Amino acid sequence: MDDLLNEFLTETSESINEVDVQLVTLEQDPTNKPILDNIFRLVHTIKGTCGFLGLPRLETVAHAGENVLGKYRDGELVVTSESVTLILAALDRIKEILAGLEATQEEPAGDDSEIINQLNVVASGGSVEVPQKKEVIKEKDFVLPEIKRSENVVPGEVSLEELEAAFLAAPGPEDDDEDDAASEKESDDNLLEKIGGQDAVKVIIHLFHNRILADMSVKALMAGVNTKESKEKMGDFFNAHLANNASGGPSVGIAFKSFITNGITQTHNEIIRGLLRSVLNEVDLPPLDVEAVLVIYDDFSKNILSEASNHASQQTKQNDKDGATAAKSGESSIANQSIRVNVQVLEDLMTMVSELVLTRNQLMQILRNNHGSEFTIPLQHLSQCTTELQEGVMKTRMQPVGNAWAKLPRIIRDLQLELNKKIDLQMLGADTELDRQVLEMIKDPLTHMVRNSADHGIEMPAARLAAGKKETGVIRLNAFHEGGHIIIEITDDGAGLPIEKLKAKALKNGLATKEELDEMSDNQIQRFIFHAGFSTAEKVTSVSGRGVGMDVVRSNIEKIGGTVDLKSIEGKGSSFSIKIPLTLAIVSALIVKCKNDKFAIPQISVLELVRASKDSEHSIEHINNTPVLRLRDRLLPLVRLDEILGMADAVGSDADVDSPKKGDDYIVITQVGTFTFGIVVDQVYDTEEIVVKPVAPILKDLHTFAGNTILGDGKVIMILDPNGIVSQISDKVADTTKFDMEEEDASQNKTTSDKEAVLLFSACANNRRAVPLSLVARLEEIDVNLIEKSDGRPVFQYRGRLMPLLNLDNSQTFKTEGRQPILVFADGEKTMGIAVDEIIDILEDDLDIELSSAIAGQVGTAIIDGHATEIIDVAYYIEKAFGTLGTSSTSGHTSIENQNHILLVDDSKFFLNMIRPLLSAAGYKITAVDSASTALDLRDKGRDFDIIVSDIEMPNMDGFSFATEVRSGGIWQKTPMIALSSHHTPKDIARGREVGFDDYVVKLERDTLMTTINEQINKKQNAA
Amino acid sequence: MENENRDFVTLRLAGQLCGIPVLQVHDVLSEQIITSVPLAPPAVAGVLNLRGRIVTAINLRKRLGLKDKTDNIPNMSIVVEFQDEPYSLLIDSVGDVMSFPEDAFERNPITLDKRWQEVSGGIFRLKGELLVILDVEKLLNFE
Repeated sequence: MDDLLNEFLTETSESINEVDVQLVTLEQDPTNKPILDNIFRLVHTIKGTCGFLGLPRLETVAHAGENVLGKYRDGELVVTSESVTLILAALDRIKEILAGLEATQEEPAGDDSEIINQLNVVASGGSVEVPQKKEVIKEKDFVLPEIKRSENVVPGEVSLEELEAAFLAAPGPEDDDEDDAASEKESDDNLLEKIGGQDAVKVIIHLFHNRILADMSVKALMAGVNTKESKEKMGDFFNAHLANNASGGPSVGIAFKSFITNGITQTHNEIIRGLLRSVLNEVDLPPLDVEAVLVIYDDFSKNILSEASNHASQQTKQNDKDGATAAKSGESSIANQSIRVNVQVLEDLMTMVSELVLTRNQLMQILRNNHGSEFTIPLQHLSQCTTELQEGVMKTRMQPVGNAWAKLPRIIRDLQLELNKKIDLQMLGADTELDRQVLEMIKDPLTHMVRNSADHGIEMPAARLAAGKKETGVIRLNAFHEGGHIIIEITDDGAGLPIEKLKAKALKNGLATKEELDEMSDNQIQRFIFHAGFSTAEKVTSVSGRGVGMDVVRSNIEKIGGTVDLKSIEGKGSSFSIKIPLTLAIVSALIVKCKNDKFAIPQISVLELVRASKDSEHSIEHINNTPVLRLRDRLLPLVRLDEILGMADAVGSDADVDSPKKGDDYIVITQVGTFTFGIVVDQVYDTEEIVVKPVAPILKDLHTFAGNTILGDGKVIMILDPNGIVSQISDKVADTTKFDMEEEDASQNKTTSDKEAVLLFSACANNRRAVPLSLVARLEEIDVNLIEKSDGRPVFQYRGRLMPLLNLDNSQTFKTEGRQPILVFADGEKTMGIAVDEIIDILEDDLDIELSSAIAGQVGTAIIDGHATEIIDVAYYIEKAFGTLGTSSTSGHTSIENQNHILLVDDSKFFLNMIRPLLSAAGYKITAVDSASTALDLRDKGRDFDIIVSDIEMPNMDGFSFATEVRSGGIWQKTPMIALSSHHTPKDIARGREVGFDDYVVKLERDTLMTTINEQINKKQNAA
Repeated sequence: MENENRDFVTLRLAGQLCGIPVLQVHDVLSEQIITSVPLAPPAVAGVLNLRGRIVTAINLRKRLGLKDKTDNIPNMSIVVEFQDEPYSLLIDSVGDVMSFPEDAFERNPITLDKRWQEVSGGIFRLKGELLVILDVEKLLNFE
């Protein structure tokens, strides 16, 4: 294809897209002058280039659009929705023509007269000065298409009538008829004609020069200049600019040469502008035109100033430099700093760099085995260069995600008009960068999803008002980095997905049986929309289900290794979250060994490495044959890589667990989203830079692998995909129905039972005792010989501090020899140990206290695991160990005088009882209620709190609804809220944030709760 | 082509003589280090590095439902391309490049084992032996 034409096409389509976006912005903010100027400039450039390339059809359409824009710019026309629609239609037409042009290299045939007429009518319609004419034109408009058809005008040409209509429509130019030749080309937005043609300009320029020479402060600017020549040049320049044909006249550097060489400054410029204004007023120009000319002057005066400073800086170096050269270099510095490069070139470059990196790695590997080689220094240098080259090339491929969004404001705008809805499109994180290749792939799915949100998600304004929502619906796009991924969320506050209808549809399409559906959680049912069977479901669409093409969206996203998830509450809105890899190219990876094979794990998802063996601090424990790892007060689920990969020699996993492997295990702590887990491997090697190469098509179905690569030693290695592993675990878990995600969801729905992880132990003559695991900091076994006495009380040196040891009651004594198991509790920085006889188990159970206790140190008795079990009151022992609660409050927390008041909402009385003393010990004032509705009563009574800590799983009204209610209004609207839950899947957390929780804390994590409360309160105080 | 003959790289698989059109063969390799791919279909032996390209190795014996090799003679492999992806076909041994007259060509006997039927592009009658033409596209189409 013709290079010139090619370049024109790319450039124009870019400009058009920009105009699209800017127009929508303008519509919302009609007075925004810079935007209007920018739009005008863009359309003008398109028109100008079309004319230059001889594309009459494009030129006429662009010209008609420009007319209207010109009217906006001159303030003669108010920006209205209708006229913007029309301009957008014109842009669409231009796009059509461009598409045809791209395909055939020729302008496609077609009739644009209708749209041009409409544009002309709008251009004239706004002129308040000539209402009469407006009428006339209107009539003409109805007649015109008729005439045109009968005359059979060549497509793309403007009929004479039209032009005349346009001229008639031009508001108030006194000498419209004077310069017919020029008008024919430039028509009514032409300032030159309004001012009075080239003669008038001559007069103005003459006066302008005289004024400058008369003014002492700026006279120096004209020094050493041939006044006549300057007048000529400046005149040509003004003529060209006023005729909207900037390229036609001399450049700024030539026309204002004298200003530049004499070093014009900002102050000078102000004065000159003032002189120009007075000249313009003097020649009796209408005020509007004066302003218009000044706007043009302002446009290029910037150039003059920048060129002047360029010139000045050059002069310091070289005493007598030719002014023209100075101007030239100035121009090139203003000119584009970027060049266009064919995408394919970049792709090839990337491939080559990838190969280079691989070869470099191989060389470095060889070097490592040959110490003292003379190649060492040059190779290291090569390595350095390669790394920099790699980074540079990567950068060329990165583009802001906003590029994929550029079309959305326009789409939403059109949908608003079409559907009569009110929608506010918010776009956050548009500058988040990701690989061009990835960007291209998500463009269409994104557009589709946003369109869906607007079409099916957001309700009609009336329905919204009826549902107690704001009339204007909100669709929010949010993009951000997380790990090696970019997350894009599309959230709307619309109707949400109708569960019942989806159910019916799923049943009808045979996707699930009724029994299956009954057991499914809402979320699982909503996920049916990603199912291929739903894409043809016209009925669901018409009754506000979503589903058309969502399966396509999903498969598109999955194609690039991404995932898509959704959360939706019927009546409240939906949120889609897309997770995609940042780049498909080079990553750093950790090499691990499992059995006899090596595998690579992308470094970006690896949090840390833990070595576990029988006698080290960390060891793998088992709950019901599920391996777990205790790591810094958290229990991490573990997966064995050999099992995941089907390489375990034992057939069943049970056998494998029963006979734990000899020697050490290495655990790669991996994070996927907010889910953290450990992968057990046999050996860990170092990290290597690898180029992810896709696996062969026949291996594509293996989600466990993200790809493969060649290592430094020339061997091929498979790259594990943590995402795939997670989905595989959850599949596996679903099979065996333990710790099931679905079950979790189900329990959330039931909202009745509240399971707590409790630590069972025996003490005091083998009584079964229990304490919530969340309160226990550590379990230790200490050598009884190391127990010392201080102040008559037993203490133990623990991590460089003295830790008081307590017995549960007086009847219990420490062991006399061997090792004494103790439970370590922490309160701020202080720790305390309670001696127990034996630690029995950790299990999850309901903590319903059946019998409350009168004995100090006991909360009561509950049935755990079928046995009556006494629950100990940790607060009591903390008090016993450190004296009264008030004084034990840790420094750093707020003092009693301005105690922060916490509202604690939890249906579990037990939990309230446990957490309350801890919080009050930390210096907070606590109000605890056992249901969301009680809490809301307090709000209505006007009680104010500094922070709200709420459980999620509660009967009647759960934490999510509670938060939504709190955020919807009332005095607590701004109060920080922390969610407290035993469920901490990424979905839950995201949902929590969405409904208005500021933070989300897992119930087990006591310390996190404390720090989170502190953080939120500080944040609130800082904000206040 | 000046005559009607077609050229094939001959190979042996569990004693059976087979042929692959010579123009489709990119490389003939001796024993290579193959990285196995867990969870992959049984016919995929693994992946290997061929001059910077990652090649998927296909165990032809498994693909054709033959028994695993019992001897310790190293595998040979023939690299072919299918849909722009390189594949290395593991075989027992490679023979000469041979050219056969078109009139020695026979269609597959319909009684041929279904797995062979799928991948065979026909038979050549040779002196004292039959040669099965392996159709690379069908061989690598696992669908």
